[in-house]
Amino acid sequence: MCSVRSDSQAKATGRRGDGATGRLGFGRREFLLGAAALTACARPPAREATVTIARAPGYTQDLYDTVRRVLTEQRLAVRGRRVVLKPNLVEFEPGSVINTHPLVVHAALEAFRALGEADVRIAEGPGHRRNTLDLAEAAGYFQTIPGFEDLFTDLNLDEVSRVQLSRPSSHLNTLYLPRTALASDLLVSLPKMKTHHWAGATLSMKNLFGLVPGGVYGWPKNVLHWAGIHESIADLYRTFPRQFALVDCIVGMEGNGPIQGTAKAAGVLVAGRDLAAVDATCCRIMSIDPAKISYLQLAGVPERIVQAGERIDSVRNPFRLLPEFQSFRAV
Amino acid sequence: MVAGRHRAGDATGASPSSQSIPLVSGLLAAQNADGGWPYRRGTSWTEPTALALLALEGRQEAAVQYARGVEWLAARQRPDGGWAPQPGVEQSTWVTSLVALLPPARIGQARHARAIAWLLGQTGKETTFWYRVRQRMQGVPINNPVSGWPWFPGTAAWVTPTSLAILALRKAARESQGDELQARIESGCAYLLAHRCSDGGWNHGSSRALGYESNSYPETTGIALLALEGVPKLDGSLSTAERQLRDCRSAEGVSWLHMGLLAHGRKAAGVAPPCVVRNIRDEALAALAERAEQGRNVFRA
Repeated sequence: MCSVRSDSQAKATGRRGDGATGRLGFGRREFLLGAAALTACARPPAREATVTIARAPGYTQDLYDTVRRVLTEQRLAVRGRRVVLKPNLVEFEPGSVINTHPLVVHAALEAFRALGEADVRIAEGPGHRRNTLDLAEAAGYFQTIPGFEDLFTDLNLDEVSRVQLSRPSSHLNTLYLPRTALASDLLVSLPKMKTHHWAGATLSMKNLFGLVPGGVYGWPKNVLHWAGIHESIADLYRTFPRQFALVDCIVGMEGNGPIQGTAKAAGVLVAGRDLAAVDATCCRIMSIDPAKISYLQLAGVPERIVQAGERIDSVRNPFRLLPEFQSFRAV
Repeated sequence: MVAGRHRAGDATGASPSSQSIPLVSGLLAAQNADGGWPYRRGTSWTEPTALALLALEGRQEAAVQYARGVEWLAARQRPDGGWAPQPGVEQSTWVTSLVALLPPARIGQARHARAIAWLLGQTGKETTFWYRVRQRMQGVPINNPVSGWPWFPGTAAWVTPTSLAILALRKAARESQGDELQARIESGCAYLLAHRCSDGGWNHGSSRALGYESNSYPETTGIALLALEGVPKLDGSLSTAERQLRDCRSAEGVSWLHMGLLAHGRKAAGVAPPCVVRNIRDEALAALAERAEQGRNVFRA
């Protein structure tokens, strides 16, 4: 069980550690996790997922072949489908490791094109900065991805539809969501592997926060913090049933992530169709116990994860954690 | 398409004044058939529409388009007095401040008064009575609250919506004095001062996280300085704004910094790098910054 931090400040600062109140020793978090555990027990067939770990020592031209090989291995059938690639763009910091590297995004774009998709778009809605295209330019996307501007949708300012959340974990019953993402046949989360000073780790599921339109909810998307960060992540995960994750773990961020941490080379890409399984695998590579990440528990990590490519032990690379998160360290 | 057509600053650090005519004609060309403005293309949204109207205010050559824009906004005021970000959203939000910055005579006196009433009814959730009671019961120490404005009702206050609400209320206070207006303006200013980053500027509103200092942003520093016009002892913040202007890589940031510095009597002397105007918001803000340089800042009371 995740240690509960009563962080009223976090809601007001846009970053909230959990949805629990901590009062009476049995908060909403405990209730939800308990309910999730009971639901998991009642679920008859064991969930299985395949996660690929591919070595990728640097941001080089080899990446194009590596990504194509990973997608082939994952047997993605995207011919004639609409694919949306959702990287993680956060801040203007040249030379930093805050944002998903543009070469990973371009390699994914080319690989999906090679698989015969009908339409592939790149889409993102940053949480703090409103000038998304400027952010993308500073992150090198214009330079690396030919025709980037025509391929890109700013999810913060996209057309929206109101979506009823099915059995939400958070306080939210409905959410306005961008039509570009809702209309996709496959939503591909392309985050960077980072520690996160409220959630523990930010990976492919936390990256889904960028789907929520700032044009409706603001910058930051504080409605999600009040509804519960972990619970909102789990709700977004359930709202988009056709997903794929390709995590940029070539150089990630450790320490005070997701913005002020330091670079940490892990030298791999991690990919799969089940975002919870991919994130749990990333956590194990970072030497973080996935059982301590509340949103993973709420979403439910598959009972069996088939590891393709490299073994976790061969690429494990402990990420430095802030003192507040030492209990998250995998033993 | 707007992107890449104009630059909001030039390599010599001059204000965007030389871009005046293309910026206005660009705005006029981008107006939707329904009278509103999109961010880039497609559906009309409240923010670009209100900003475009502020930029076109008083321009004879834009009188017809201005009237159509006002009509679009007037028809979309919600029953609670506020405006939604776009017609598909059923919730009044922060964009109400932008509409309330338009002259009451243009948007309609009664409509404007209801917008101001809606704004006065909004506050960050962290300062609401029941939230504070709950915190107190949990043993969380409570400081004297300073209430700002949220982006979306029922959430915490943040720098940009607070700054815009202050500007709208200050403009409204010019026409109708009231203790409540004044108190909320003062509280909003106190909120901004309390959320200043250690470097003197402002980011979205989180100056510290887990004990670590956060960096400020150009656009939020500029808008906060504009809202804090008349507040003394902001030298450190003004220096930060000048430094940010030299490195700023967004047209939006350059425009807000220009207006924020001008509100404190500082001409933007720094060298602003070239920035691409990406959308109608950038374009309108560049035109507004240019007018501010010429002595007509429509955000000022």
